[in-house]
Parts: sequence; C-alpha cells; structure tokens
Amino acid sequence: MPTAPPGYHGRYLRVDLSARSAAVVSIPADVLRRYIGGSGLGTWILLQETADGIDPLSAAAPVLFVFSPLVGSPLTTSAKFAVMGKSPLTERINDSLSSSHFAIAGKKTGYDALLIVGAAEEPTCLVIEPHGASFESAEEAWGKSSRDAASILADRLGKGFRFAAIGPAGENLVRYATVSHDGRHAGRGGMGAVLGSKKLKAVAVRGDRATPYHDLDGLLALSKSLSQKSFGPATAKYRELGTAGNLLAFNRLAVLPTRNFQTSSFDGAAALAPEAMTLTHERTRASCAACTIGCEHIYHRHDNASGVRMEYENLFALGPLCGIDDPEAVLTASALCDELGMDTISAGGTIAFAMECAERGYLDVPTLRFGSGEAVLETLEQIGARRDVGDLLADGSRIAAERIGHDTADFAPHVKGLELPGYEPRALQAMALGFAVGTRGADHNRSGAYEVDFSAEFDRLNAGAEVVEPAIETEDRAVLLDSLILCKFLRGVLVNYHAELAEMLNLVTGFGVTADELRVASRRIVTAKKWYNMKQGWTPSEDVLPARFLAQPLPQDAGPSGGAVLTRERLNELVAAYNLARGWDREGWVPAEQLRELGIE
Amino acid sequence: MPVHVELFGIPRQRAGLKELDVEANNLRSLFVELGRAIPQLVGVCLEDDGQLKPGYLANLNGRAFVTDTETRLDDGDSILILSADAGG
Repeated sequence: MPTAPPGYHGRYLRVDLSARSAAVVSIPADVLRRYIGGSGLGTWILLQETADGIDPLSAAAPVLFVFSPLVGSPLTTSAKFAVMGKSPLTERINDSLSSSHFAIAGKKTGYDALLIVGAAEEPTCLVIEPHGASFESAEEAWGKSSRDAASILADRLGKGFRFAAIGPAGENLVRYATVSHDGRHAGRGGMGAVLGSKKLKAVAVRGDRATPYHDLDGLLALSKSLSQKSFGPATAKYRELGTAGNLLAFNRLAVLPTRNFQTSSFDGAAALAPEAMTLTHERTRASCAACTIGCEHIYHRHDNASGVRMEYENLFALGPLCGIDDPEAVLTASALCDELGMDTISAGGTIAFAMECAERGYLDVPTLRFGSGEAVLETLEQIGARRDVGDLLADGSRIAAERIGHDTADFAPHVKGLELPGYEPRALQAMALGFAVGTRGADHNRSGAYEVDFSAEFDRLNAGAEVVEPAIETEDRAVLLDSLILCKFLRGVLVNYHAELAEMLNLVTGFGVTADELRVASRRIVTAKKWYNMKQGWTPSEDVLPARFLAQPLPQDAGPSGGAVLTRERLNELVAAYNLARGWDREGWVPAEQLRELGIE
Repeated sequence: MPVHVELFGIPRQRAGLKELDVEANNLRSLFVELGRAIPQLVGVCLEDDGQLKPGYLANLNGRAFVTDTETRLDDGDSILILSADAGG
C-alpha cells in the first residue's frame, strides 16, 4: 500500500453489516489533497459508494463516519468528524458534523473514514479497532438513550472505547434522528435513522494509530498562537453568552421566526434569553474536546440536576417557533430531544407546523396549540415512539404536509425536506438564497449568507444580484472548514482566511497548498455535493422556499422587518444568478466540462 | 439631540445596562459620547477615536446596518450595537 501523506492513514474501512465482514480500501493521495477530509472526503467516498436513486433506509445505503487530517492535532477545535450519507429526510446528500473524543479515537483506529453498508439481523454494536471490525450484540442497549446505551456497552467492551450511538428515535426511523456521542450530536438530516434501519445501535472506536505531522514544531507554535487568539474578543460572545446570545438582537431586528414563521418577533423572547436565564437558572460552561473557545452553556432545570446544552437553534425551535416563552419548558423539551436522539430544529419546526395545522383545523389534535409547553413535550414523546400523531410527524414537515393535504405544503417550513433554522428568510434575503440552494436543504451551517445580511453593504430586506458573490463566498468558506475540519467560531479569529488555513493544512500534511488551491478545493467540494444530488434525482424545482415566504409579506406589526416581501420572481433571479456565478447553467445543472475541470469524475 | 442606544450581547454585559440616551448628531459623535457615558465599552466594542471595533455592528432603527461615521442621526433615532457574528 502506498505511503499516505502525513495527517492521513490513506484508507477507509468498508464494513458490511449483512456479511459481518470488513475490507480496507485505499484512498489515493491526490484525492486526499483535492478533497481534504471531513465533508469533502466524505463526498468523494459517497460518490464512489452510492448507487443512483438509492433508498436511504435500505440495507445497501452507506453511512459514513469521516475524520480529517487535523483531527488529533493540537489545533484548537479540530476534534471533529462528519456523519454522512443520503438523508432520509431530504433524499439528498447529508453531512452532519460534530465534535467529541469520538473523532480522536475514531481516527486512531487507523482509518480516515468508516463506511458502513448492509444491515444487521439483530441490534448490533459495531466495534472498530486497528485490526478491523467486530460485531457485538446491542440487544440490552436497544430502546435506551444514546448515553445509557454507551454506558451499557462500555461496561461490556472494556476501557478506552468511545461510542457514537442512536436513541429510540433512530431505532424508530424518525427521519431527523441524530447520532450522539459524549452528550453531543451529529444532528441534522436523520443519519440516526439510517443507523436504525441497519439495526446499528452504536459504533465503538478504540485505537493507537497516530498519524505523523509534516512539521511538528511549526504546528505546535501555530496551535499555541491560534489558541491564544481564540480566547480573544472575537469569541467573547460565544464564551460569555453562547450562541443563544443571538436571541434578543434577532428579536429586536424582527428576524426571529415565531409561531411557524407567521411572524418574526416574539413577545416572550426576553424570558428565554441567556441574559435572563442566567438569573433564573444555574448555569455551567463546557467545551468540546480539544477546544479553547468554550461556547457551551449548560443550564440546569429547577427539578433536575442534569444540565441541558442551550444553543440559539434549540432555543428558537422549541421556544418562539412553537410560541413557548417558558424557559423550563424549552429546557425540558431540549433534554427530551437529547434523550430520544432527535434534531431539535427539525423537531421544533415539525411541531410548530403541526400546531398551525391543528389551529387551522387540518389536524384533529385539540391540544396542539401554540404556546403549550405540555403539547410540545407530549408530541416529542409521540414522535420518538412513532405513536399517535407522532408517527405522522416523525417523517418531517414535508412528508406530513403531503399526507395532511389542503394548502399545508405552503407553510411546511423546509427546503428539500430539511426544516429551516432560526433565520427569517423574508427579512434576511441573502440567507433566503443560501437556504434555497443548499445541497442538504435549509441550513445555516453550510451557507453563512446571514453575514451578508448583517452588513452595511447590503439591504437585508431587498436583496438583489449584488448579494450572490458574497453569499457564495460564505458557502465556500464553510465547506473548507467542514473539510479540514475546524469550528466555524474560529472565523472571526482568522485575518487572512485562506492563507492561514493553508498554513495549518501544510504543517500537518506537507501538501504545500496555496490559498488559491484551497479556494478551488472549496468550489470542487460544493460542486461535488451538487453532483451527488443530481445523481440522486435533484431537479431545479427543489431550489426554492415554501410558498409562505414568497407569497405572504411579514406582518406589518413585525417591528423593523414589518411588511418585508420576498417574491418568487426575485428569489428565482437570485438562484439563477447563483447558478451562473458557480459556472453552472441558469437552472443549476453542472456542465460535464466543469466536472472534468474540477476532477470530480 | 437625544439618540436612543440599545446594547446587545457583550456590550450589554460590559455596560451593565441595555439602553440609554446620548446626545449626538451623527454616528461618530454617538460613539464618542457613548464612550464617555460608559467608559468600560472603550476597548470592548468602541475604539477610542469614535469608531466601532471590528466584530461589532451598528444598526439604525432596526433596519439598516451603518458603518459611515458621518451618518446623520435625528431626534428619536435608535442605534443598536451588536455582535457582527450572528452564527448559531
């Protein structure tokens, strides 16, 4: 086998659960350089391993755990990995990233990625060590939360393992089930359901295979400098308030989605904000593995000693989006999502949609009303168990709307099936473009176009073609971080973005990449994701927002965003301009010539 | 003329208050007056020469983000000061 570049093992492990076998697959060095790792490398592997039009919940569908060249290095925030595959929620490419010691232990198994196909006959824990794979029964862990499952399996397997596991929602094929590890979650897109369809309760990793560094002294010096900068003012907001610090500003600007996007400011926001919750609830702080930023803010409910991580997204989705202003209800709902193993954004978005359906008389569930914390908690339980109305809602708002009928598809809050995060697109119109064209659906981690909206150079309420290039730049920057993999909260720390990231990659790998080469790599990876979607049935009609956002202005009383309008024609023009700027045709089809130029196939 | 200033995030944490009125007729004079009224904001979100520090934004009346320090302010205007990083 050829020698891998520093930072890599140069191979992935292909596990077949049906055959209970595993095989090592080499990854060419030029692929590693061109796709880097994480989302990029995962996209390349999925393109090799995924049949066109595959059912994501079929045995043949692959699920992939991907590490990166920076994992295990002393660079702050680098303990990350991606869980990838075809999403059962969107039927499109999905890459859910997360951070924990699972990433470090996983890479030490001696593989740059773990690809899993097939399906087990009984609940199984897949054990990966440097010598290969073994298959342990997970019968006693089935039905348990991911945390309890990991504890049960750790007692049996012995010391040193790290686990990624699904909760009951994954077992019950909830299409937005998470893959959880060390209390953290690869959250979006339902990869937990893919594991559930394979009866794969958990993946356990343990190893001792370190990868060398091209320039250890240089890497240590740069890592020290980066860590010091990461303590600075650029990350103070995350350290002191967490991402939930967005809430009051978003509410004041009237960009805070409320009651299933019927309006964009919420009277109860003040009670939910971290500025208030720190006065009413005990709070502790924590960090991801190998992170110096420390953005995690864990709040303790009054009746329960266990803490709940509170981020802007779970706060918005289980709070204002459902009309909830009770912090205890939001914390309890977040904890329940963790326990069941469900994405809080899609769970909150789908419940908010169901509340509007019920209030309009399209869904006969009298208790489902905006503002009812009890209804949220009961519905989350039903979704996790696929019981009563939960069976309908476990498929997400897009499929639920198809089944409910009437005009409900107009206000089902998703793009490509993925529920919108907490950014009102009529009042953040560059972000509306980012949502529409996102390859995994409406997502704030793949497009950072809200940065364009939060700028004096552009009009967030009246976006034109001028937002397209900067919106693309945010998407390209995000995919680079997602491939290296580093945390996006480092963005404010980096002055010469591409040059500094190139230096990090070069110190680890010795590639000698330039800033421009990384820019091309970003374009390649974004385009490869689009190519994957095209092979899975993408059509231009998917790159749109639901009718609500294109036909109804925000209410006039929605504060400074009152009356904001985003017409279908304007969004279509933005999408067309985006496609052309990427070198695709006006509809978004990628020319074969560009695929060749970028070396995608 | 009095201009209403609303602080969000770290500026609010450091100031220990969420809003105040300052006398100013443009953005530069507002930042200077704000620094005089709340000295602990200088070095956090304010430079000492009437500018916002990188990483922070000013927004006029909840609608337009503004950077031009000559931006004229009228009686009753509100300036919001918030973090430029809106990622969640």
